[in-house]
Amino acid sequence: MDSVTTRRPSPVTDIVLVVLAIAGVAFFAVPLVGLLVRSPWSQLWDQLKDRATIDAAELSAVVSISAVALSTVFGFPIAWFLARSKARGLGLVRALVLIPMILPPVVGGIALFTGFGRNGVLGHPLDVVGISLPFTTGAAVVAATFVSAPFLIITVEAGLRANDLGLEDAAAAMGASRFAMLRTVTLPAIRPALIGGLALCWARALGEFGATITFAGNFQGRTQTLPLDIYQTLQTNPDGAVMLSVILLAIAVAIFIALRGRLRFG
Amino acid sequence: MHMATRASPCFAAIVMIAITPGCSSSHQSTSSSGGRTLTVLAASSLTEAFGALGRTFESTHSGTRVTFSFAGSDTLAAQILQGAPGDLFASASPKQMDTVVRLNKVAKSPQVFATNRLVLVTPGDNPARISSIEDLARPGIKIVLAAPGVPAGDYARQVFVKLGIYRAVTANVVSNELDDQSVLSKVRLGEADAGIVYVSDLSGGVEGEVHAVAIPNRSNVVATYEIAPLVDAPDETDALSFERLVLSSQGQATLHRYGFGDH
Repeated sequence: MDSVTTRRPSPVTDIVLVVLAIAGVAFFAVPLVGLLVRSPWSQLWDQLKDRATIDAAELSAVVSISAVALSTVFGFPIAWFLARSKARGLGLVRALVLIPMILPPVVGGIALFTGFGRNGVLGHPLDVVGISLPFTTGAAVVAATFVSAPFLIITVEAGLRANDLGLEDAAAAMGASRFAMLRTVTLPAIRPALIGGLALCWARALGEFGATITFAGNFQGRTQTLPLDIYQTLQTNPDGAVMLSVILLAIAVAIFIALRGRLRFG
Repeated sequence: MHMATRASPCFAAIVMIAITPGCSSSHQSTSSSGGRTLTVLAASSLTEAFGALGRTFESTHSGTRVTFSFAGSDTLAAQILQGAPGDLFASASPKQMDTVVRLNKVAKSPQVFATNRLVLVTPGDNPARISSIEDLARPGIKIVLAAPGVPAGDYARQVFVKLGIYRAVTANVVSNELDDQSVLSKVRLGEADAGIVYVSDLSGGVEGEVHAVAIPNRSNVVATYEIAPLVDAPDETDALSFERLVLSSQGQATLHRYGFGDH
């Protein structure tokens, strides 16, 4: 044991790790620096008061927050069962709800058509009674939820698994209802994981592009979220697209910082 | 508390996810087995016709591989201005070609090589019972068009202006797609009631899936296609021979077969 603990780490290994880490950090930094350097700052105000930008920002807020709400309402119970239940076949359920994480989003969009589109498995009967989802804000919410909910589920499940079951058992032994136990014991204990899951889910919903443009289409004020607006702007006005990207980056970083503060001091 | 540190790697991932909204629609040309590669940036409406011309070119120019990047002409023009590598640019409208010409990105002046017209398409079962272009002004119809700024989208809007139904039709638009092929696929999937695409888009064996409604000549527009070699072309000889092929009687016959008109 002594020989292991006192052996000096090889300096070569240290140097390699440092060099690789610096290269890795540069890899992430270069594109962000590029955005800031290439930004036509003189266009900032024009882009901010552009009707399409305002519509897209509002829509992105509505769509991403709705997606987080739906992901929580349906995702939390899924995470709960995945972490707590001993039922057979849960592995299959986990694989099913996590598939959107590995699907290319455009494939997700096509899958949503085949499920909820006008000719879709569930969409067709709905269409017959006059409910049509594609090309609506609802479709954008569905697309964002489809791709972002797995992030909430996987994070909350991990939090629940790491959680000490003894407290829950004690609460149950003292006669606490399942709801009281959730509220007073489980939720406080997994709070960091829950906030992390919500943040990841929201970030993925905000950045969603492929499933949205496929399933919800691209229409200003209805389905054109910020990423779609940026992509369409890129077709004709690359400088404007860079400026919009910086705006989206600023929003994301601001909320990231706000949430991080909550996590640390909350 | 220790749970907080456990969650923080998740946060590190957030910025990455949040700032990667797009996904690439592009190509790229990897040259095969030491041979030359000719890269043609072409309007997406040329997908079928240029694919055929590329095979013809490869059969007569052994050692050269032709690769294509098909997208909306406006997208391609923006890519060229951003320095995208390519030997030739084929635009569905002089407007996007002019942008590239003005910034001195072409090696010689563009040549008109084809024309196209617009056609109205509905899903095969025509759920909204559309029988003429004027029907698109009926309230409640779900119409998909190419976005303004995309040649197919600009041309379609010109038709509606000519017919005096621009406001009524645009009120029915549910999506502004990034090129004509995306318009066609939303109609083929049966999700939109109608769309406007090029006549040439119907040559690729979609007759059974979509129902075409002709737009009369007096209200239709003529799309003019232009081609030009790019200044940064790595192999100008190949670029010029491909352009010659497109303009030759053989090339013109191929374009005709795919629904393009005379110029």
